[in-house]
Amino acid sequence: MAMITNRRREVAVAMTLIAPFVLTFVLVFLYPTIRMIELSFTDAPLIGAGEWVGLANFKRLLTDNLFYTSLKNNGYFVLLTVVPTTALALAIAMMITRLKGPLQALILALFFLPYILPVSVVTQIWTWMLDFQFGVLQPVFAFFTGKPVPVFKNPYWVMPTVATVTIWWTNGFNVLLFIAGLRNISSDYYEAAALDGATRWQLFTKVTWPLLWPVTALVLTLQLILQLKIFDQIYLLSSGGPFNSSYVLLLMVYREAFQLNHGGYASAIALVLFVLIVVVSVLQFQLLRAGGNKQ
Amino acid sequence: MKYLKTLLAAGAMSLASLPAFAQQDITWWDFLSGGDGVRMKALIERFNEEHPDIKINATTLEWGVPYYTKVRTSVAVGQGPDVMTYHLSRMPLGLEENVLDVISDDDLATAGLSKDDFFPASIAAASDAEGNLHAVPFDIHSIVLYINKSYFKGSRFLDDEGNLAGIESLADFEEALALAKENGSETPLSYATADDGSTYRVFFTLLKQQGGELITDGEVLAGDNLDKAANAIEIMTNWYKQGWQPEQAEYPASVALFTSGKSAFHMNGVWEVPTLVDMSSKGTLGFDWGAVQIPTLLGTTATWADSHAFAIPTGKEMSPEKRAAVMTAIGWMEKNSISWASAGHIPAYKPVATSDEFGKMEPNATYSSLAETAVYDPRSPIAGVASPVYDATINIISPAMHGYLEPAQAAQQMKDELQSKLQ
Repeated sequence: MAMITNRRREVAVAMTLIAPFVLTFVLVFLYPTIRMIELSFTDAPLIGAGEWVGLANFKRLLTDNLFYTSLKNNGYFVLLTVVPTTALALAIAMMITRLKGPLQALILALFFLPYILPVSVVTQIWTWMLDFQFGVLQPVFAFFTGKPVPVFKNPYWVMPTVATVTIWWTNGFNVLLFIAGLRNISSDYYEAAALDGATRWQLFTKVTWPLLWPVTALVLTLQLILQLKIFDQIYLLSSGGPFNSSYVLLLMVYREAFQLNHGGYASAIALVLFVLIVVVSVLQFQLLRAGGNKQ
Repeated sequence: MKYLKTLLAAGAMSLASLPAFAQQDITWWDFLSGGDGVRMKALIERFNEEHPDIKINATTLEWGVPYYTKVRTSVAVGQGPDVMTYHLSRMPLGLEENVLDVISDDDLATAGLSKDDFFPASIAAASDAEGNLHAVPFDIHSIVLYINKSYFKGSRFLDDEGNLAGIESLADFEEALALAKENGSETPLSYATADDGSTYRVFFTLLKQQGGELITDGEVLAGDNLDKAANAIEIMTNWYKQGWQPEQAEYPASVALFTSGKSAFHMNGVWEVPTLVDMSSKGTLGFDWGAVQIPTLLGTTATWADSHAFAIPTGKEMSPEKRAAVMTAIGWMEKNSISWASAGHIPAYKPVATSDEFGKMEPNATYSSLAETAVYDPRSPIAGVASPVYDATINIISPAMHGYLEPAQAAQQMKDELQSKLQ
């Protein structure tokens, strides 16, 4: 009897402890998500109810060229950012760990600084630096290409430039994760390997890389999710142009919902993006884990 | 003495008990900044001074998508303003969203106005399909051609009085551009080639001057309108290739090119008139300027135009007294719109637009004839300020005329993209 009472009390205590989280989660995530799924089957405006239209929104989406363009651009952006930013962060982290004391803290702070900036400030800085008429970086472009380049107005330059700005902005956080991972590797391994005559390259491939793999997998997955959700930089730097060459799915959601008042259709696009992110990131994380286990 | 005191007390009490003296607070939203904003704030201040029983509390929000998004969401939950400014080009979307209350003839009478006081085109633009009025037009604003006369001294493009003359076709205009270039103008025709609104207004004007239509019966660039659009883009591309228009100029840069004397012509909205008037009177402009209606370059006289208007949001629980106060404010603004005209606009209220005072106001009087041939954006939820048409312009026309796509392909892409938004 006493056992049971105890158990009940434990359950009650546990429930009380998780209640704030569960309530918040249900209120600000689960409920809106369910409502969004519901909305995606209606022709509702941005605010207010709509008629049930079944799968019409999704059928329309499959015939919408802009959807495929956006999907392709999302993929292109992921290619341009996820692996490069991870590799760069790893390289920077390995260099920073070789530094000692206040200098290390200073350099780390310098790399982390852009991450603190709000996106509007970041895009403003880069708009100025890359300004077609007065940008300080234009002489560099002129040196290599012969003339200034309006980077956000040129269909070939726009995505790589937005990717560069994004990497500059968010890289600091990845560096931080890698430094934490590197500090977790006991120096015993390096000492042992060095005693066995391992070269620097062998130290990296046989010790650092495998032991750091969980962190690398985490960074890759976080980056994948983050970069699939690209919106702010595109909206502020290029508004999806020119010729839709930087149009992405979230921009499509925004335009449909807030400009054209199509709440239902926008929800359908958002739902597709949501499912896409879940599937791709779970798949990637599993694959990366499997890859890590083999080593 | 005692008698006087009683009298005062009685007077004070009767004042306090009269509800008619209760002050009506009006919540007012607008999107007017720059020269427009300064003039509107002055008008509101004067109104508040002259009307002790009404107080306008004005808030200025960001022009474009942010403004209209806020209007829609706030009206949907009954938290909208009591009165707001609205673009007539945005009416179709506003009516579809059902955010604009009907303004009845009685309302207009309260304001001391009637529909006959306005130009018929603006009343039509402010009404729904059944003819119910949803906004009170305040002005007509369009693009005009600003001129730096110093580049044309002694040429056939200035008449004896020093006014622009002899431009009756595209060939004439391009001859003038070439001449200005020869006379040292860096970019003879400045407009904001990297800005959605500015590029759209030039494109739409060129399209309408060929008798073209952007949207007809739910079809974008139907029939030969596609070729006309391609031709308009071709003309703009040529201006770029000849070095006549600036490459990728943002809005402020395009104005600066003109005010610094580097451009002989400037195509922009009338709202930049105050900038030039001020610079000219301060003596910082350094050249003789003028502003005229966009010349007829392609056969038909037409100029892009839009109107600012006042609207009352739907779904607002408003007492009759408050509604009367709102209409009083609108009526007062219309009757004092001569101050608004100093921002370059043409008043929509005819008694002011046809008054002697406006007739003498320069350069407005020179170009006010354009009101007759002004063309509004097509009546469609995808056209108007901050609409997909604006987005398509910056997305397709602007890069195309900078040489990234052939004009014909660009016109086709405009058609496809806008058509898909019409569903």
